[in-house]
Amino acid sequence: MALLEVNDLHTTFRTDDGLVQAVSGVSFSLDEGRTLGVVGESGSGKSVTFLTLMGLVDPRQAQVRGSVLLRGEEMLGASQSRLRDVRGKQIGMVFQDPMTSLNPVKRIGWQLEEAVLIHHDVTRKEARRRSIQILKEVEIPKAEERIDDYPHQFSGGMRQRVMIAMALINNPDVLIADEPTTALDVTTQAQILRLMERLQAEHQMAIVMITHDLGVVAELADDVIVMYGGRVVEQSDVTGLFAKPEMPYTWGLLGSLPRLNVQGARLEQIPGQPPSLLHPPTGCPFNPRCEFVMNICRQELPPLEASAAGADHLFRCHLDAAARTEIWQQKQAAMMSEDAA
Amino acid sequence: MSAIGTELLRVEGLEKHFPVTRGLVFQKEVGSVKAVDGVSFTLNAGETLGVVGESGCGKSTMARCIARLLEPTGGSIMFDGRDITHLDRTAMRPVRRDMMMVFQDPYASLNPRKRVGSIIGEPMEVHGVGSDTERKRRIQDLLEIVGLNPEHFNRFPHEFSGGQRQRIGIARALAINPRLIICDEPVSALDVSVQAQILNLLKDLQGDFDLTYIFIAHDLNVVRHISDRVMVMYLGQAVEVGSRDDLYREPKHPYTGALLSAVPIADPELGRSRKQMVLEGDVPSPLNPPKACRFHPRCPRFVDGKCNVDTPPLEPIGAEDHLAACHFPLERWPLTDEEFRQRSETVAATD
Repeated sequence: MALLEVNDLHTTFRTDDGLVQAVSGVSFSLDEGRTLGVVGESGSGKSVTFLTLMGLVDPRQAQVRGSVLLRGEEMLGASQSRLRDVRGKQIGMVFQDPMTSLNPVKRIGWQLEEAVLIHHDVTRKEARRRSIQILKEVEIPKAEERIDDYPHQFSGGMRQRVMIAMALINNPDVLIADEPTTALDVTTQAQILRLMERLQAEHQMAIVMITHDLGVVAELADDVIVMYGGRVVEQSDVTGLFAKPEMPYTWGLLGSLPRLNVQGARLEQIPGQPPSLLHPPTGCPFNPRCEFVMNICRQELPPLEASAAGADHLFRCHLDAAARTEIWQQKQAAMMSEDAA
Repeated sequence: MSAIGTELLRVEGLEKHFPVTRGLVFQKEVGSVKAVDGVSFTLNAGETLGVVGESGCGKSTMARCIARLLEPTGGSIMFDGRDITHLDRTAMRPVRRDMMMVFQDPYASLNPRKRVGSIIGEPMEVHGVGSDTERKRRIQDLLEIVGLNPEHFNRFPHEFSGGQRQRIGIARALAINPRLIICDEPVSALDVSVQAQILNLLKDLQGDFDLTYIFIAHDLNVVRHISDRVMVMYLGQAVEVGSRDDLYREPKHPYTGALLSAVPIADPELGRSRKQMVLEGDVPSPLNPPKACRFHPRCPRFVDGKCNVDTPPLEPIGAEDHLAACHFPLERWPLTDEEFRQRSETVAATD
């Protein structure tokens, strides 16, 4: 049984302008100890998917459909008290901005202890002991002294370490990290990514890494989901996705990336803007920006089907296999020739 | 107008120190934040200088000093052969026509109450360029040049997406045909696919209008893509300057090496097989920077008695135009982990 299984998840927000289809039919599963990378641009529904499965969207504003099984237990429609129990204990979450996700008027220690005391019947002294231990684990120097500091006394990277400590303090099965390194500098990002790798090995937890950075995904993830317009458009293990991506949006994402190891005169650009979820295009969500668009793309949503590489590599595209292989080979050749230039 | 290849900008020993004061009524200066501390470089017309560094390294402050949005506290700025370091507002005005900025946040840098047409037309109005009809035609041309619909000049900024707003910012910078455009993190707030559009646009415009860019970014991939020469900054100082290919292929300063190896590579096999040097700790406070080489507390090649005593000068290493400020520059690239950490004790002894 998979640790986390999401089936046909839909999240729709009611707004003054109409219904916003933030997530439409997302399915995936996550096994223990694995890392799932979720890639997409802003508005692709990647964050909302995970907010929904943690029960963090307001039911007064959002309609949620589908199924989310955590160790076989249905999470959608679970009681608030059950969800509170799951959050923090079975699922830990790290957000993008470490400046705003810590309470500025409470000491770090108080905030960490609170996370322990909510879920465990222990004394404050014991909670403090655990807090110091976890701060040491995330490599905060002089943890015994720094535990009494306020968030503003920490740098950005250190705050993100504290956030990770807080997410891990109850040994969750899943750590959901929503753009955990986006606000950080590259050297700090490297520190945090290495730290997450080490902690994953030590704690045997599964990680969901939500990011727009394909580089981070390539380095950390075992499996990857590419999201666009609220849907999964491609899904594969990480080597398969980078070796032979199967649909035009993923080609565009890879092509539009300036890379250190590849230099070229011109980046491949995806024309236009990400779609409005208020008035999503009919058919394939990517069709208005796709250079290979056909009539059928405007009418029918292509199903998520398996590629020739295997049943684990799924994608949505109406192009036939021969055409896709040919186009990808051309694109790859273009990237290589730039490398030589 | 100066021809391509001639010197357009020369910055020498630029300093910007912000005073730190105590006390409410009788403010006493108790120290200073040395945001920019002795940066020198030259920039030729038609060239792009990329500036990289972590947050707080002074790259934006430097840009603001060059555009004279901040008053430098030391050094000199020569623009097109003219010293503009301490020109007053009136004397600066004609210079400003040649020097424009594009800012990071396309949401904050456009006035939400003004229509796009008047935002783009403002530089022309300020400098008294053209009549009303000429301006309107120019605005529509500009919208088309940056890839927007010319009919949209009557819209408000909120009607555009992030990428489109950045195009508006670029159109505004282009309005009065400047020669130098200082781009301060112009793509870091944008999605990858939109980022590529803007980078391509900036490159196209450079060719079409003979523009010179100072391109500030923290993303090393982006800087490599767009720059001819690159300057790496650390704690208010330039630690390495070189042509793009030299600097990325053979970085000399250990900090540049660490930056390059910290960038995630979008290729699972390549990315996971390479050696990575992860710097420990954080950037020290510019209020009280480390002595001598400012990078020494974090440097894996630190040699006691040398790096913390002598300030390394920014001097050519290898190629003539490849400068680095380091006593023990990297011999080759990529280094193995052991080589990187090796403290060249023999070198230290002979010195």
